[in-house]
Amino acid sequence: MGDIKKHETPTIDDLKKGPFPSFVDDIEIFGLNKKKQACLDLLGQLELSYKNKETHWKHGGIVGVFGYGGGVIGRYSDQQDKFPAIWAFHTIRVNQPASKFYHVSALRKLCDLWDHRGSGMTNFHGSTGDMVLLGTTTEQLEPVFFDLTHQMNMDLGGSGSNLRTPSCCVGKARCEFACIDTQALCYDLTMTYQDELHRPAFPYKFKFKISGCPNDCVAAIARSDMSIIGTWIDDIRIDQEAVKAYVGGELKPNAGAHAGRDWGAFDIQKEVIDLCPTGCMSWDGNKLTIDNKNCVRCMHCINVMPEALRPGTDTGATILMGAKAPILEGAQLSTVMIPFIRLEPPYDNLKEIVENVWMFWMEEGKNRERLGELIQRVGLANFVETVKLKHIPQMIREPRSNPYVFWKEEEVPGGWKRDIAEFRKRHPA
Amino acid sequence: MEMEEIKQKILEFMQKKAKSKSKIYLKDMQRAIPDAKPMQIKKAANELVREGKLEYFSTGSTVMYSLPGQDLEKGMTSE
Repeated sequence: MGDIKKHETPTIDDLKKGPFPSFVDDIEIFGLNKKKQACLDLLGQLELSYKNKETHWKHGGIVGVFGYGGGVIGRYSDQQDKFPAIWAFHTIRVNQPASKFYHVSALRKLCDLWDHRGSGMTNFHGSTGDMVLLGTTTEQLEPVFFDLTHQMNMDLGGSGSNLRTPSCCVGKARCEFACIDTQALCYDLTMTYQDELHRPAFPYKFKFKISGCPNDCVAAIARSDMSIIGTWIDDIRIDQEAVKAYVGGELKPNAGAHAGRDWGAFDIQKEVIDLCPTGCMSWDGNKLTIDNKNCVRCMHCINVMPEALRPGTDTGATILMGAKAPILEGAQLSTVMIPFIRLEPPYDNLKEIVENVWMFWMEEGKNRERLGELIQRVGLANFVETVKLKHIPQMIREPRSNPYVFWKEEEVPGGWKRDIAEFRKRHPA
Repeated sequence: MEMEEIKQKILEFMQKKAKSKSKIYLKDMQRAIPDAKPMQIKKAANELVREGKLEYFSTGSTVMYSLPGQDLEKGMTSE
């Protein structure tokens, strides 16, 4: 490797002065130590962008590995004379293992590969969950892909109009609240929908995110077109002795998470009962009672008293659809489509729903229209009907103000056909 | 519709459009060939990419298709 050249970067050097570790320091030190001109050129271009108040990246391109429509995001600098090392600076998304558990040897190997074939810079993890390898040239793409797949048993993640890499919370591996095996489901969906993940099929992106319980640690409800959130259908398990221990101060609320400050003695009435959104709990000084039918799974009581309360044992998931980030019409949370579904391998019941939804979206969706926007456009009632789901009372926002009801033939017992003779027997003309 | 027939129609559509547009959404192909199922068109388009008769163009957020050798913005075809 020849000499490397550090650019003058007075503006971004200012960022080093803050109280937190600075990416400018990190990239610069790494670039100088490893003699990576790409890192220094990257900072040089960022300086120029700060000065000009505009980006110098060209977005997109015909880059990818053979047969794959996603996983590689093309980036080109429009300042090739000044910063030749980042002339091409493509991003590679690598499908993360479920719940993002790694063995250090796998990470070490991946980092060695990226040091050798890329800029050495990574982003763990992108919002979709992928490991993001930042910055390489077009001729390195196929070798990186070969090494990933042949040596490391890893694959590219999703990008573009594909199914994006499914992601899940730590699930049963590390969490007592998990109602479903999130990792098994995430892996199964990833493997079942390989074609959709790697070859563009959709009007726009589509994301699955799987949370084991309604605490929703992967924020599935806010970020995924189809959110799968574990829940239970029976009663919250109560250990009355442990409840008394919380009230008596022997057990710390929230597992001691707020112990850094003196909040006073734990007050079950004020901190749990009164905060229940549906008011379905009561405490008579001796016994805690929950009206489980009115529980909306907010998880507050369980989080405050994890040793006393636990999710039920008859478990499954709630399926919600249509969340997206605020590009059009602001951020949108996903809507409950199926309040409870049992999820057992091979998850055929879930896959049937997924495929119905995709079929409708592929037919009706406009270019760059997310599922949530399609639902808004065609109306929730029509969407539910078309994808063969059931309407539920909670989908109704307000009582009907329009008195005219147009029934469909199949909704009326006996259809439109009437036996006039039979009618006239009861109602003479 | 047979796969070969769909492929042929896709190529015809792409060549027709190439005069005004260098990149085409999958959705536009699906609209242009209403007789075939969207899933089949997707399969056919992906096969054409494997055969080298079409190319993917990815912005990172969406993917479009183009004919090889289109006059894309300078610098995006090779280093």
